[in-house]
Amino acid sequence: MKRTKNLYSYYMIFPALIIYSVFFVVPAIAGFYYSFTDWRLDRLELTFIGWDNFKKIFSDKTLILALQNTAIFALVTVVGKNVIGLLLAVGLNMRLRTKNLLRAIFYSPSILSILVISILFTPMLRTEGTINQMLEAVGLHSLSQAWLTNPSIVIWTIAIVSIWQSAGFQMAIYLAGLQSISQEYYEAAKIDGASSWRSFFKITLPLLLPAININLMLTLIGGLKVFSEVYVMTGGGPGNASQVVGTIILRSFGEGNWGLGTAVNTLLFVVVTIIAIPLLIFMRRKEVTE
Amino acid sequence: MKILKQKKVATVVLASLLTISLTACGAGDSSTGSSTGGDNKAKVTLELAISKSSQDSAFIQQDILDEFEKQTNVKVNLQLIPAEQTTTVLQTKLAVDETPDIIQYNLASAVTDLNLERNFEILDDEPWASRIVNKDVLSAGGHIYSFHVSQDTGMQGVVYNKQIFEELGLTIPTNYEQFLAVCEKIKASGITPVFMPYKDAWAANIWPAAAFADFVAKNEPTFFDDLNSNKKKWSDVPEFKTFLEQQYEVYTKGYTNTDVLSDSYDMAVGKFLNKEVAMMFMGDWLIEGVAEQDPSMELGVFPIPSTEEASLGASPLGGQLFIPKKSKHLEEAKQFLDFIASKDVAQRIVDSKGYVSNFNDVTTPELPAYKQDIVDNYITPKKTVLTTDAFMLVDRSELYRLLQDQFAGGLTPEEVLKSWDEKFSQLMQDKGVAGF
Repeated sequence: MKRTKNLYSYYMIFPALIIYSVFFVVPAIAGFYYSFTDWRLDRLELTFIGWDNFKKIFSDKTLILALQNTAIFALVTVVGKNVIGLLLAVGLNMRLRTKNLLRAIFYSPSILSILVISILFTPMLRTEGTINQMLEAVGLHSLSQAWLTNPSIVIWTIAIVSIWQSAGFQMAIYLAGLQSISQEYYEAAKIDGASSWRSFFKITLPLLLPAININLMLTLIGGLKVFSEVYVMTGGGPGNASQVVGTIILRSFGEGNWGLGTAVNTLLFVVVTIIAIPLLIFMRRKEVTE
Repeated sequence: MKILKQKKVATVVLASLLTISLTACGAGDSSTGSSTGGDNKAKVTLELAISKSSQDSAFIQQDILDEFEKQTNVKVNLQLIPAEQTTTVLQTKLAVDETPDIIQYNLASAVTDLNLERNFEILDDEPWASRIVNKDVLSAGGHIYSFHVSQDTGMQGVVYNKQIFEELGLTIPTNYEQFLAVCEKIKASGITPVFMPYKDAWAANIWPAAAFADFVAKNEPTFFDDLNSNKKKWSDVPEFKTFLEQQYEVYTKGYTNTDVLSDSYDMAVGKFLNKEVAMMFMGDWLIEGVAEQDPSMELGVFPIPSTEEASLGASPLGGQLFIPKKSKHLEEAKQFLDFIASKDVAQRIVDSKGYVSNFNDVTTPELPAYKQDIVDNYITPKKTVLTTDAFMLVDRSELYRLLQDQFAGGLTPEEVLKSWDEKFSQLMQDKGVAGF
């Protein structure tokens, strides 16, 4: 009896498994292989060249810069999206009359495609764009900037736009987490005379860890895979100042260097895995159950 | 446990079977219509691949194709490729030997994207080749690789507003000092002298691409051969540095829009229509764009004034026909070019499109004023020069980014050329060019 039940579940998984293999597993393995070859548009006889592509990645100044930029972007957005998302969630978890409206407002940017957001922000961030005009209107002349064309701040600008877009989404996950925490804990804490700071750190944060974990993972992986916002707002420029791993992959393919492009992609995969999995395991251990 | 293992094996086998059958399907598709049977003897069908964005191309007007079929019993089948995928699709087709018989593409890009030398026929000995007036616009590496009835390439230089020049009593500057003086006068009148849309990095290449090529043609004719065999480097020519400094100086002297790295090419037409700007380093396609919006605007183009009496830059022509070496119907494909090149057909195309004829026995019809100026002042007296794009065998986008970086303050002209040397040599090495 049990056996047929098992078989049945396997039949059902078959179509999905086949599609998954054909369109993901096989290309992924093929990509892994191609990253060790000199696959090029004008040289179709593949030769296995070992680690050469990877050596090239680490000897190319632009690629190093792109890795740095990706790291900066990932770090800034992970911190920004989660801190702001959490603050919004805690704030909007209180009994406010406008809380539903405010929740909708903060969540709404994440409904839009990041492409749309980037296109909207590009003119606003010009030297004589809306952002600078607003700064000047309130007397903050000194803060006005060439946001997207100053090589030293451009990656930060893009990160801030990305935070603006996505913090509301993080807020939604935190809100869900907050609402699953039973009020009894807070009541008990109140009776014991705990300050609201203390109950936040001793009750809210630990019980919110599952939501924090999910958000950290989502923002970290999203941050490391950043592409669209950079591509639309600067195309990696000015010069190469805002290149990230994603745009470098595109550049390599454009240059006909398919092998190198897949190598960068493989590297990104490995980096994401190396960072994400230990973090996931570490955070899981910290989780407590109610 | 055992059953589970068997299932696993079965899954893998099935997955691989499916993969194979999918691949097989792809391969089975390759039978490009060679014979359609019928009572008459095998009728040949040529496959002509063009980008969807070129669907108003002169070569594929249905009446011309019908006439060709009637005369030769060769049918031409069109393959329209989505514009944004044209390069990838053609690269793939060429790579797996599923080549169309004729391809319409851009010569300069074909050199870098499609491996011109390896994939396409040399057309030097075709019957029409001897009637060609301007071989340069169809050639790469000293051979004719492409076909067109027009020699009307995109001309690149300084696009300027004739009316503003007239009102301010200015004449076309023929050297750099005169150019700065012109800028000064325009600025004094309250109009921005030069519009630089360098958010689009490629736009920063118009000045150097013409200036470099003009200097090399006059002073070091073997430079590009030496460059492509690694005997010379970009940084070896001190004048190149000067030309880059000049373009940057136009910006630092305040003769341009303030936000050169935020402004993009798509704003250019509007800037000219509003008479906010007087000049721009660009191709004559900009004039066409402005004229479409407002035919009363009088724009013209003069050479990049980097040196005394420079030539006008000519970009390698867009949208020529190429014949792949692996075409299944080589003879018929060449026959098709012969047909279009015939005096009668070529004349019809040139007339209907307002082209500058590239055949010595086909007459050029009446042209728009700016085009007529270009023909009279530059093409007929042979004062044009192919821009550097025509001689570069590699993807040029990194050069554009470096030029953009100069305006972001990241690189000096010297560093631009040094960095491009490095990248150029790496790209050539990747490509497997001898000597790198």
